[in-house]
Formats: sequence, structure tokens, C-alpha cells
Amino acid sequence: MLENLRVASFLAFKQVQRGSKGTLILTIMIIALVFVNLVFLPSIISGVIETFNTQSINFNYGNLVIEPREGDQYISDADTLQKKVERIPGIVGTSPRISTGVTYFYKGRDARSTLYGINPQDERSVTTIHENMVRGEFLSAGDTDKIVMGATLAGTEGEAGGGLPTLQGVQVGDSVEVAFPNGERRTFQVKGIYETQSIGVDTSAFTTTGAVAQVLGLENQASEILVKTAVNGQEEMYRTRLLSYGIQQQVFTFRQKAAGFVDQAIQSFEIINAISTLVSLIIAVVVVFIVIFINTVNKRRQIGILKAIGIDKQIIINSYVLQVLFIATLGALVGIVLTSGVIYYLTINPLVFPGGPVFPVVEPATVARSIASLFAVSIVAGYIPAWKTAREDILDAIQR
Amino acid sequence: MIVAEEVTRVYRMGKVEVRALKGVSFTIADGEFVGITGASGSGKSTLLHILGLLDRPTSGRVLINGRNVQKLSDRQQTLFRLNRLGYVFQDYALIPELTAIENVIVTSLARGVSEKEYLKRGAEVLREVGLGDRINHRQSELSGGEQQRVAIARAIVNKPSILLADEPCANLDSETSKSILDLFKQLNEDLNQTIVMVSHEKWHERYFCRIIDLKDGLINSMRECDAGR
Ligand SMILES: Nc1ncnc2c1ncn2[C@@H]1O[C@H](COP(=O)(O)OP(=O)(O)OP(=O)(O)O)[C@@H](O)[C@H]1O
Ligand SMILES: [Mg+2]
Repeated sequence: MLENLRVASFLAFKQVQRGSKGTLILTIMIIALVFVNLVFLPSIISGVIETFNTQSINFNYGNLVIEPREGDQYISDADTLQKKVERIPGIVGTSPRISTGVTYFYKGRDARSTLYGINPQDERSVTTIHENMVRGEFLSAGDTDKIVMGATLAGTEGEAGGGLPTLQGVQVGDSVEVAFPNGERRTFQVKGIYETQSIGVDTSAFTTTGAVAQVLGLENQASEILVKTAVNGQEEMYRTRLLSYGIQQQVFTFRQKAAGFVDQAIQSFEIINAISTLVSLIIAVVVVFIVIFINTVNKRRQIGILKAIGIDKQIIINSYVLQVLFIATLGALVGIVLTSGVIYYLTINPLVFPGGPVFPVVEPATVARSIASLFAVSIVAGYIPAWKTAREDILDAIQR
Repeated sequence: MIVAEEVTRVYRMGKVEVRALKGVSFTIADGEFVGITGASGSGKSTLLHILGLLDRPTSGRVLINGRNVQKLSDRQQTLFRLNRLGYVFQDYALIPELTAIENVIVTSLARGVSEKEYLKRGAEVLREVGLGDRINHRQSELSGGEQQRVAIARAIVNKPSILLADEPCANLDSETSKSILDLFKQLNEDLNQTIVMVSHEKWHERYFCRIIDLKDGLINSMRECDAGR
């Protein structure tokens, strides 16, 4: 067996060493490009998902959202619940919010959207909206007559929102009138404008809990409590932990809250991805097969000679498989270099999607899967023609 | 001992049948040096292919040391060729990607000979056929006669018990031919190798124990020679 491998690798090495360099380089480049193709699109899709998840956590939901028990409109005794949650290990921030649908009025224009009542200090511990102020400042405790507004809702002079609620040109310092569902109207001064690229957030506005609670006549109540956990990606585990600590309210992960809209997008992406992967692999099979087939068919005579002088056909087949393994290894290496280049470029110049800039995320599993499939394909493409040729009659192979 | 019994070989090309061998029988004893002669197309190469397990007879059988070699499986035949036979092809059949010495030692590699040993032996055999200064040349860098001698070196490197050579001197001048035949003679005498060699040249006869002359796929005559007496 070892002898066989010795002969096979000797023959493989000599063939690669003395065979056509052009064909060799061409084959390696083809495999490399197939590799790029196999890794690139999934990395963009992972990037989109990653961007979306980060946005959801940072701007919309935190990691977990506690909502009122079924049938209730508000969480009662929100203070106690908040304190209870904060004592659970791994919870690093909580932010109770009151949300209400309102109509904003500004210079004769109006827009229907959401207004959140928050405790600025708490909100900072969960979301990063305060880090995304484009003008003015974020709320401070006691800002009962101040409001911060999303950039889309604030809008630009003369630009209609294209279906999105916009007041077309609100500036920091302006006054905006807000009509609440119970008919009350209050005037707020705009303290800042933020921009998160997340549509739902950028079309809303925030004021302090005090202001909203007073208008709506609420006392120590919340529509939801956002919860930030120590690490991202472990939401299911934290959710279970919260429930095991006896939280009676409904607890959702940000993924559950964000489902629907994005899930569909991700599903579509995954279909595109699957098709592209399949097509790449088929191209890989065909190209690698053709190149190796032609190479092997050209070696018909010498395969016959080797058999004639007593070299077992399995050794001959193995020598071709070894060549292919070598080529596939180089192809994958070149592919990794090329992919790194593309990824590096796109990290510096990210693609911009509706959800914000998307940085490619290369998952090790994708790389491993791509390498594995390339090798599988190459081995098959190398084995079959070698096997076919090595089965031929010796004199036929040598003489004709 | 090689025994051929009523060996025929018919090539079928569509409707046309070429009967290259029409029933050939003979016995070659161990250590015999046999020449095969005959006109072009008389079936010499066809016969040698069959004796070399490169081809199977259409009918009849070949026994080597009492064993019906046609009954061996492909893999067993391959092993037989590797371990027992040396074959010099009429058209040399070298592997172009390999150098002279690499062509020679491929089979040693497959037989598990150590690198040190096969490199030494490879160089030695190439020296014996007069190519001591060509061991690292590739086929494209060798003349026809040199290629033929590489093929001879490859066939004898493992000291096979049976050496089959199809016009091994066809491309050699008479002086080189003589040295090759002397080498064969020496192998035949020292190692008791059985040698079956196809030849056209009258003067080769003095090396042979026996000559089998073919004509149109049949044995025309079989006669003892000087060396055999
Ligand atoms: N593969 C083949 N298909 C059809 N006919 C063949 C084949 N090989 C040989 N023949 C025919 O068989 C006959 C014997 O051929 P062979 O090669 O044995 O002759 P030879 O005695 O070696 O001749 P030469 O001295 O020219 O080498 C010839 O008529 C040849 O045309
Ligand atoms: Mg011939």
C-alpha cells in the first residue's frame, strides 16, 4: 500500500513538474475563482443579517423585549419588574418605554407616527440611539417638554417622505405640536435629531417618560421593557433565564420581534445563495472535469505503457487523483487570497443597503464547506477519466 | 518454461477479419535465447504481445512454468509483468515526462526497491547500454537509438526471468547492436534468463539457440542454431 502511494506520488509529482504550466495555472485559477464565488455571496448575506441584527439590537429592541401579559395594555409596577430583571446575572441594561401613536404638527404639516416615553439614563444602557445624534443632543432626565426626533420624521425642507411620515424640515430648537390618542395636545421643543438608518426608529421620536405618562394618566407603567444582555447571540438562553427567574410577562427575543419582514428577506437571500452555490459547483464540476479529462485522455498512451510494464491501474488512478488534490489545494489557497482581497476591499468600502452599510462576514463554516465541496468535485473529476482510461486495453491505449 | 499451444489471434475490424496468428505451437525452455524471424506482417509482434501478457489469444493457450497465464486476473497479470517479465517494445514506449533514469526505475519503485538501490542500479543499467552520460535526458532529448536503449535498460533493470524484445536493435548501428546482444547473451548465461527476441538481421543468428520463423501467422520453420548446439 505504501509502495503504491510512493509510485503514485512519484508519477503525480513528475507530471505536475514537467506537464504544461499553462494548463496547471489555468486550472488553479478556475478553482480559485469558483472558491471566491462560493464564499463571496454567503459572506454578503451573512453581512446583511449581521447588520440587521446589530441594528435591531442597538436601535429597536435591545436583546430582549418584555411585554405586558396577554390582554394587558401596559406592564404595571414597572419599577419593581425593572429592578428584578436588573438583578438577573448577565443583564447589563433595561429600559422601560411607553409607546403611543401620535400625530405631529409642524408649520401646517402633519405626520402620524410613534412617540416613545423613555428614561434617558435607562435608554442609554440599552440602545445606542444617543450615539447617533446628527444635530443637537439626546434627552436628559427632566426634559419633560423636549423631544428628540428621527431624521426621516424631521425631514428636509421641500422633500415629501415618499410614503414615510415626515415633517419636512424640522430644526433643532423648533417647536412641534403633538396630538395624543386621548385628544390632548402638547407642544415640545426639538432638542436633537438622530439618524440610525433603521426606518422604524428614524420615523419616530422620543421624549421622557414623565411627559407621556402625565398626558396618558399612567403611573409606574410601561408598554415594554427593553433588555440588554452581556453578549449578543445568546438571546434564547437569556430569555429562558428570565422566565426561570419568574418573570410573569411575555418575553421576546429581538429576532421574534423582528420576524416577518426580515425573515422573508433572509429567506430570499438564502434561496439566491443556494442557487448561486449550486451553479458555481456545477461550473466547477464541468470545468475541472473537462480540464482533467483532456489532460488524462492525452495521457492515454502513457497510461497504457505504465500498465504494460507492470504498474497497477489503481496506482495510475491514484497518481491522477493526487495531481488533482494538489491542484485543488493550490486553487483553494489562491481562492482564499483572492477572497481576502475582495473582503478587505468591501470592508473599507462597504456596500450600502437600506438597513445601513453591510460589511461582509466570512463564516468559517462557509469556507470549510466550500473547500470540502471543491475537493469532492475535483476528486470525482480526476478519478473518473483516470479510471476510464486505466481500464482500457493496454495495446489499444499504446498503439492507437 | 514457455509453452504455446495452437495460439491464434484474429483482429476484427468491422466486417474484415485479420488472422495475425493462425495456430502457433512451440516450447521454449528456461534459459533459452530464442530468435523470432519472419517478414513484416507475419505476426511476430502479435506473438510477443501474447507471450508478454499484453494481449490475449483468440484461441489456444500459453503456459508459463505450467501456469495458464490467460486465466490470471488483470491485476495478477500486471503483477506478473512487473515481477517476472521484461519487455522491449518495437516503438520503445517511453514516458515523455520522465527522464531516462526515471523511465528505467519506475518499476523498481513499484517493486519496493529502496531509493539508494534503484538509483544505483538505474545508473548502472544505463551505463551498460552505453547511456551513462544521458541518464537525466528526457525522451525529446534523445535520439531514436538512445530511446531504444533506454527501453532496453528499463526491460532488464529488475533482472526479469523472461525478457521479450521486439526488434531491440532496429535503430542501432551494428557496433551498438553487438554490444546490446552481448549484454543479452551475458544475462542469458549469467542469470539463466529466457530471452525471446524478434529480429531481422541474419548475423544475429549466432546469438540464438533457436530460431522460430513465422510466415503469414504460422510457423514456417523452427531450427537450432550454433549457440544452441
Ligand atoms: N490492432 C490490430 N488490428 C488489426 N490488425 C492488426 C492489428 N495489429 C496487427 N494487425 C495485423 O496483424 C498482422 C501481424 O502484425 P504484427 O504486428 O504482428 O506483424 P509483425 O510481424 O510484427 O510485423 P513488423 O515486422 O512489420 O513489425 C499484420 O497483418 C497487421 O496488419
Ligand atoms: Mg512487429
